[in-house]
Amino acid sequence: MKKKNSVFLIITIPAFLLFFIFHSFPALQGIFYSFTDWKGYGDWNFVGLKNYLNVFKDERAGDAYLFTFKFAIVATILVNIISLLVAIGLNSKIKFHKTLRAIYFLPYILSILIVGFIFNFIFAHFLPQIGDAFGWEFLTRNILGNPDLAWIGIVIVAVWQAVSFNTILYLAGLVTISEDLYEAASIDGAGVWTKFWKITFPLIAPFFTINMVLSLKNFLMVFDQIVALTGGGPGKSTESISLLIYRGGFEGGEFAYQSANAVIYFIVIIVFSVIQLKFLNKREVEN
Amino acid sequence: MFKKMTAGVMALTLGASLLAGCSSDGADDGKVTLELFSNKSESIETYKGLIKEFEAENPDIKIKLDAPPEAETVLKTRLTKNDLPDIMSIAGNATYGELGRAGVLEDFSGTDLAKTVQPSYIDMINRLVGPESEGTFGLPYATNANAVIYNKAKFEEHGLEVPATWDEFIASLEKVKAAGDTPIYFTLKDAWTGMIAWNSLGANVAGEDFSEKKNAGETSFMEKYDEVADKMATLVQYGHKGNMGVAYGDGNNAFAGGKSVFYLQGNWAIPEILKANPDMELGVFPMPVTNDPAENKLVSGVDVLLAVSESTEHKEEAMKFAEFMMNKETAQKYIDEQKAFSAIEGVYQEDPVFEGIKANFENGTITSFPDHYYPAGMGAENLVQEFLIKKDKEKFLKKMDSEWEKVQNR
Repeated sequence: MKKKNSVFLIITIPAFLLFFIFHSFPALQGIFYSFTDWKGYGDWNFVGLKNYLNVFKDERAGDAYLFTFKFAIVATILVNIISLLVAIGLNSKIKFHKTLRAIYFLPYILSILIVGFIFNFIFAHFLPQIGDAFGWEFLTRNILGNPDLAWIGIVIVAVWQAVSFNTILYLAGLVTISEDLYEAASIDGAGVWTKFWKITFPLIAPFFTINMVLSLKNFLMVFDQIVALTGGGPGKSTESISLLIYRGGFEGGEFAYQSANAVIYFIVIIVFSVIQLKFLNKREVEN
Repeated sequence: MFKKMTAGVMALTLGASLLAGCSSDGADDGKVTLELFSNKSESIETYKGLIKEFEAENPDIKIKLDAPPEAETVLKTRLTKNDLPDIMSIAGNATYGELGRAGVLEDFSGTDLAKTVQPSYIDMINRLVGPESEGTFGLPYATNANAVIYNKAKFEEHGLEVPATWDEFIASLEKVKAAGDTPIYFTLKDAWTGMIAWNSLGANVAGEDFSEKKNAGETSFMEKYDEVADKMATLVQYGHKGNMGVAYGDGNNAFAGGKSVFYLQGNWAIPEILKANPDMELGVFPMPVTNDPAENKLVSGVDVLLAVSESTEHKEEAMKFAEFMMNKETAQKYIDEQKAFSAIEGVYQEDPVFEGIKANFENGTITSFPDHYYPAGMGAENLVQEFLIKKDKEKFLKKMDSEWEKVQNR
């Protein structure tokens, strides 16, 4: 037992050190600076809770919260529906299913920025040309230039890229379900739909939980896609919170103020993840 | 026990070696490597050529050019980390003002290099730093001009003449529109391109001291920018179908392809347009903002200034590079390639394209960019972009005021 412990320590201490130096320590620094008026350089003074009060008065932050949540909820729902469908398809006995799995995973390997720039080209040139050719008025303009539609463009790109990762997780879940269950259900005369709702969906509940939590958390932190597609525009219509924190903190010399914003956001994400876990864990089947 | 110790030491050294992986690279084979940071994508090729020349003259110095996108944000991030590049080639705007006040740049005041620069441009950048820190922390190098660029072939086709007043300008736009052609090619997907018209209008309507007065609480956008907002909204009516969906790079190509008669840009767009269409005949004129030709000034600012990090380990070499850049031959080469104007005394832009604004430079009817004096965290360009979509003037001007004050009070 003693020996085992020392092995664990040897493995965990470097990992803990690295994590602490590169992750926990900067986070603690950020919390510390959120109580000061530091600009990112130069001198600073303590200002107490002033930054936090200012965040709550800040319309721009409010708009960013609204946009981010709208985006994250829509994207999370879409990604989970699509990736579950794709996973069920790839899990069935079709030809080339191994090759197909690899192909479906490709978007996840590509850099988000590159994907964003490619889609930027598609939205700016390719789609309007199709719109012109077929006379579809709604397609003739770049949707990223329309403040009411730009977020949809970002959802499309984000979902396209995220589906692959969640598909892999769902596939892992589907593999754990034994064929006997389906055979028994077939004998009892259950159809495809019944099989899905009564067998598949309950049994992959743990995977559904982790997928929902992870994708919501990732979409709440959306950043790269927006930088590559709209840069937060047109106007401020697609400015996510991460982008606002980064832009305001570094460009605007509001380092301390945006640190406060980041601390608040950190708490919000934790609260949401915990609520999700609690709610979704309840419906998981006890094995 | 001993085994345990060695294992612990092993683990620690492993961790340490991982950390050591990200130390900076020093000089290689006795050469000094300097980093040159530039905020312009347009000048990458020009700099590459100049660097080659410099390295041939100084074989013991290597220059690494770094011109990232979102350059100003990158630079601020590096300032936060105390990792400033050795030499910076940046715009004379609010970011430079902040760097100057932070005391991280070399002071050039009184040096021989600073004396070669036209004094008015030295004053311009000193105003950006403000009275808190005395000194000239950069060498104004290239200056630019906001202008209306026009396609000469189309211009003649429509039988137009260079307008001297706002009404004449609108009349020519109207004429083009009536003929079924696109008057102005807007590229408002990139928010900053909206600031070009905004600056021309603002500088001529609201006056040069607007920012100082605004900071003192003596004036506001509500009060001074009403006409500017109206005129902006008027201009956008003379655009094309996808005003908001086209970005700057695509706009340059479209204008080069003869998609419109006018293009509201600055001299920096001209090389880009000529890259796409080398035979194109271009002309420029300052946007006539008021109906009194004597009142209309050209908006010109410091497009590029050279700054040296105060804490660089290779100050001598960095200064050598600054001297190389500031000599008249290099400066001439830079402005010829970049179609810019020089801040250095006695270096002139002779390109015939600039016939229409040459007079402004000669008789000094020049004013500076208003938005260079806006607080950096305000994000004015996105607010202007939003206004051009929604056209709600009252709300927009109020927001400009409140955002300015908000950033000031933080």
